[in-house]
Amino acid sequence: MSEVVVDVGQRYIKEVNIEIMEAANAGKPIRVVNTLSRHNLGIGLPDGAQISFEGSVGYYCGGLNTGATIEIERNCGWALGEGMSKGLITVGERAGMSCGAAMIGGTIHVKGDAGPRCGVAMKGGNIVVEGKIGYQSGFMAHAGRIIALGGAGESCADALWEGEVWVAGDVDSLGVDVNVVEPAAEEVAEVDAILKPLGLVDSSRNWRKMISGQRLWYFESRDASAWLMI
Amino acid sequence: MCGIAGRILSAPGVIGNDLVELMDAQEHRGADSTGFAIYGPQRDYGYVLRGMGFDKSQLDQDMRDFENLLHDNGSGLMSDPTIIRNEERHYCFRMEIEDPDDLAGWVQDADTLSDRIEVQSCGRSLEIIKDTGSAAAVADKHHVRDMVGTHGLGHARLATESSVLPNASHPFWARPFSDVAIVHNGQITDYFTWREKLERQGYRFLTGNDSELIAVWVSDQMKAGLGLEQALRKSITSIDGVFTYMIANADGIGFAKDRFAMKPLVVIERGGDIAMATEEQAVRRVVTEEADVINHDGPSLIGLWGVGNRRLAA
Repeated sequence: MSEVVVDVGQRYIKEVNIEIMEAANAGKPIRVVNTLSRHNLGIGLPDGAQISFEGSVGYYCGGLNTGATIEIERNCGWALGEGMSKGLITVGERAGMSCGAAMIGGTIHVKGDAGPRCGVAMKGGNIVVEGKIGYQSGFMAHAGRIIALGGAGESCADALWEGEVWVAGDVDSLGVDVNVVEPAAEEVAEVDAILKPLGLVDSSRNWRKMISGQRLWYFESRDASAWLMI
Repeated sequence: MCGIAGRILSAPGVIGNDLVELMDAQEHRGADSTGFAIYGPQRDYGYVLRGMGFDKSQLDQDMRDFENLLHDNGSGLMSDPTIIRNEERHYCFRMEIEDPDDLAGWVQDADTLSDRIEVQSCGRSLEIIKDTGSAAAVADKHHVRDMVGTHGLGHARLATESSVLPNASHPFWARPFSDVAIVHNGQITDYFTWREKLERQGYRFLTGNDSELIAVWVSDQMKAGLGLEQALRKSITSIDGVFTYMIANADGIGFAKDRFAMKPLVVIERGGDIAMATEEQAVRRVVTEEADVINHDGPSLIGLWGVGNRRLAA
């Protein structure tokens, strides 16, 4: 199937996305060029779509993805893959704030670092970051896994619900209500199964798994002083 | 959600055009008003003023009263003022004045007219141009694209805690400190507490905009003996809220970010030219060659960039 090349430049993004969606619905692979870090590119792409973005993209790229394979050559801005349910998004370099916000399924793979609040409020799926995850990553994650191979910034896993933050490397500081546990062998095998198709399995890693301390689940306002962070 | 930007050129150039492009690319972050702080040629003597009168039908009387006030302070106009007006009620002005006997004293006197005419910047090189409307509209009205200088700031405002008025636009001048300007993206939650403290020290605020406070707060800290770097760092733990602000003086630009990492800042440095903005797509508007972007998106960050071989006092 011949590739469709979509040129972004300063065009109206709605028009660009219609062109992308028409090619995706026709089952054609798509290459998006001249992206100029523009926002809202490739929203709501269908299952089976194959799309690559040359250069960097802005905010909300790949949001509401329902099964597309999306590749971004360089950086992405805020909220990559927000609310996605299925598919794979790969970022060649760095992801901005709130990567994978509220995603419910699929995989995001960031080859560089990810900014603050990576995986905020995620409800499923996996975010794999080869570098470091930023401030307050995993904040209020309800489900899913954030897997950081290069460490984590401050306030890691703050106010986590039932999500998990896995870190190989240093953690600058923990957020509130976090328990750090040694993962069981079968859990490590599950994570390796996520990493294997990305070519990132390394048996020498020392994992730390962060889960909720569950004390905030039963929070009472009269105890608020115990949770003041600043 | 506002958009902010900064630009430093390695050699004096058409800084105005770059700032307009940086703000045009971020117009969606705030369409209420747009403003620019431009550092043009440095004067050894005299100040350039930018400001606004609120009723153009009073223009002649405003100018007479303002000129009398200059004379009372040992100053005067160095040339005829430039007046910018259209169908709107307010008008804007640019004037060059001789050094008053005491700058702060003159500013205090000038502020007695602030219900009619407001000085919005005063500097050896600083000029603040701001108005309601988009970057393109403000640039066309005030001929910003042609302005030459070494560095500057830009702002697109989405008004939240104060009114959409021409004089509530950013950037803000750190009244009465010459050549200090600020742009801010965020909200200061202890604004009234700090404003009251600073007013007790004699500072005056002409708008209800929290960003005006930061400009004066930082300058006051420096007046008390802190270097810019120390003042920026202190602001992170002293001022409450979510913010990223950039502050400029004749020597360069600095920034500070809050403890919560809520407001982004991206920077491209290339061959001595520096572009900073809230969004990556803005800096890529003025740096079209392939270049790495530095994301300052962590909590409690500060940074300083000097112009040319000038260093910002640490």
